Amino acid sequence: MEIYVLVKQVPDPEAIVKVKGETELEIENKYFTNFFDEIAIEAGLKVREKFGGKLTALSVDNRRADALRRAIAMGADEAVQITDPALEGSDPFGIARALAAFLQGKPFDLILAGRQAMDDDAGTVGLAVAEALGIPHVHGILSLEVDPTERVVRVAREIEGGKEILASPLPALLTCQKGLSVPRIPQVMNVMKAMKAQIKKVDLASLGIDPTEVGPQGAKVRVRRYFPPPRRAAVRMIKEDFPENVKTLVRLLREEAKVI
Amino acid sequence: MALDFTFTEEQEFFRQTIRDTVNRLIMPRVAELDEKEEFPWDLWKEFAALGYLGLRHEEKYGGMNTDTITQMIFYEELARGSCGFAMSVTMQILMGTYFIARFGNEEIKQRILVPAIRGEKIGTICFTEDQSGSDLGGTRTLATKVDGGWRINGRKQWITNGPIADFATVMATVDPKLGLKGLNFFLVERKTEKRDGFVSGQRLHKLGSRCSVTGELVLDNVFVPEENFLGEEIGKGVQYAGEILNEVRVMTAMNALAIAKGAMDDAKGYAQNRIAFGNPISKYQLIREKFAKYWAWYEAAWNYAYKCAWMIQNRLPCTNECMMAKYFATEMCMYAVEEAMRIYGGNAFCTEYPPQRYWRDAKFLLYGGGTHEVLCDYLGRVFLKD
Repeated sequence: MEIYVLVKQVPDPEAIVKVKGETELEIENKYFTNFFDEIAIEAGLKVREKFGGKLTALSVDNRRADALRRAIAMGADEAVQITDPALEGSDPFGIARALAAFLQGKPFDLILAGRQAMDDDAGTVGLAVAEALGIPHVHGILSLEVDPTERVVRVAREIEGGKEILASPLPALLTCQKGLSVPRIPQVMNVMKAMKAQIKKVDLASLGIDPTEVGPQGAKVRVRRYFPPPRRAAVRMIKEDFPENVKTLVRLLREEAKVI
Repeated sequence: MALDFTFTEEQEFFRQTIRDTVNRLIMPRVAELDEKEEFPWDLWKEFAALGYLGLRHEEKYGGMNTDTITQMIFYEELARGSCGFAMSVTMQILMGTYFIARFGNEEIKQRILVPAIRGEKIGTICFTEDQSGSDLGGTRTLATKVDGGWRINGRKQWITNGPIADFATVMATVDPKLGLKGLNFFLVERKTEKRDGFVSGQRLHKLGSRCSVTGELVLDNVFVPEENFLGEEIGKGVQYAGEILNEVRVMTAMNALAIAKGAMDDAKGYAQNRIAFGNPISKYQLIREKFAKYWAWYEAAWNYAYKCAWMIQNRLPCTNECMMAKYFATEMCMYAVEEAMRIYGGNAFCTEYPPQRYWRDAKFLLYGGGTHEVLCDYLGRVFLKD
């Protein structure tokens, strides 16, 4: 089985994110591998362990390659970083275009991705890659069975009120949901290997992509403005005695908070 | 450009990985580990399976042969989880196996070191006795030369991993009158039907770091063969001990840094949510001052400890520096855990809240690697050239 896993490095949930200007964010330099991508790596490793083959982690990132190192530490055979200054400011479709260009013509059987990245929560890249490659995809899978001789995968995904069981021919792209697998804790031997690993870097020219197809110029999605979440108002204590305090509370909930 | 305080990308990746491992394996169990006061065999096996016990040893014995700075990152992140568990693990990685790796013959390394790296055998080192600890010259455990080996008699106290240890590096004197010049290390294994060795004595119940089990080892006329003498020459034990004391002290500093940070991070969350007189108590200057002072001291201690790690790594002489790093980081930690106890107010006094655990764990660091009284007496003497 030739398996590719799409991974992304996202800000740590504890990192401080500030709105800087209308369309720019200032993010504290604390990153980790997207949670759903680790689930995808684990699922891919399980398939490889069962049927053999090779697992390659693939990322589009102009900064550090920690998510790819994490994939190697977990057991990926190889890691590829698509990196190019022109990719700065790409939307999910630009990212997907670069990924698909890399994958095009490769002998892949299975492509796995997280169901969404925990920064923009777009949940678009995986599916857009499948569309660009013209292969079937299933979003948010909870179980995965591979039949390499029949070249079929059977997956389950959550739908309202139940589970949907689907089968798809290979090659296919599947995005992974929490519950599919529990990402393994890397062995220190693999951590050391990952620390020293040479990450293969690929630029847009070698993929035959025109820089205007990605970045802000090629974007379908434009960020108009970022808003910081509203600050929680100070606690107001109602100091009257019963039953006046109840009347005041109801009045405030109705007139000021407008929740009843 | 010679002054550079950055970690390599690889070291930062390693920190992130070990932090994640600690978050997943240890953090959810911190209170339970403290409460049970038992050695966590399941956690030990998980850590061993991940390969961390070989961090410091050669690859051909199953180790990772990492650099000193990477090891210190590991000690710091591990102690952030559980100081007690960190004690057991660092004993295995560093003190418990160092002299076996340094002086043991190939057969000993295959029989002891390889399973120790796999976590299948547990090791320890024995310095302390009822009348000696920081004062190693007072060691009374006696090694007598006999045909084909040595006979060892004595009692060792305060032995981390002692009650569960399979093998021990034992410090013993060939003649108590020689003081520091009579000291040597011997490999002694636990007594079995087939083999002479040590037996466990009394187990100690400790105030803190409670999941590392600590107790007495009794050596009653134990015979060990010649190859169990760990050294090249008789009487060089103190000199050999000096080879790891710097690391032990900086490692202790890392434990102190981790406990201090844990205590104050928790206290920060508490201070920002605990309302008194209509405001979170973090809004009051007397509370803020505690955090400010801690923060400044913490940063200083952290940077100095890593400077010492860097000096060890680059084989620069740093005995005094490492003593100072251990002393300063631990005193900073004492301040942090004490102030955390005050920030929590009366809640600090119940076991339901964490500051008492940090406070108890921290006290253990005062003694290992030399008490502060002994360290400061020495440093003062060096400074004054007395």
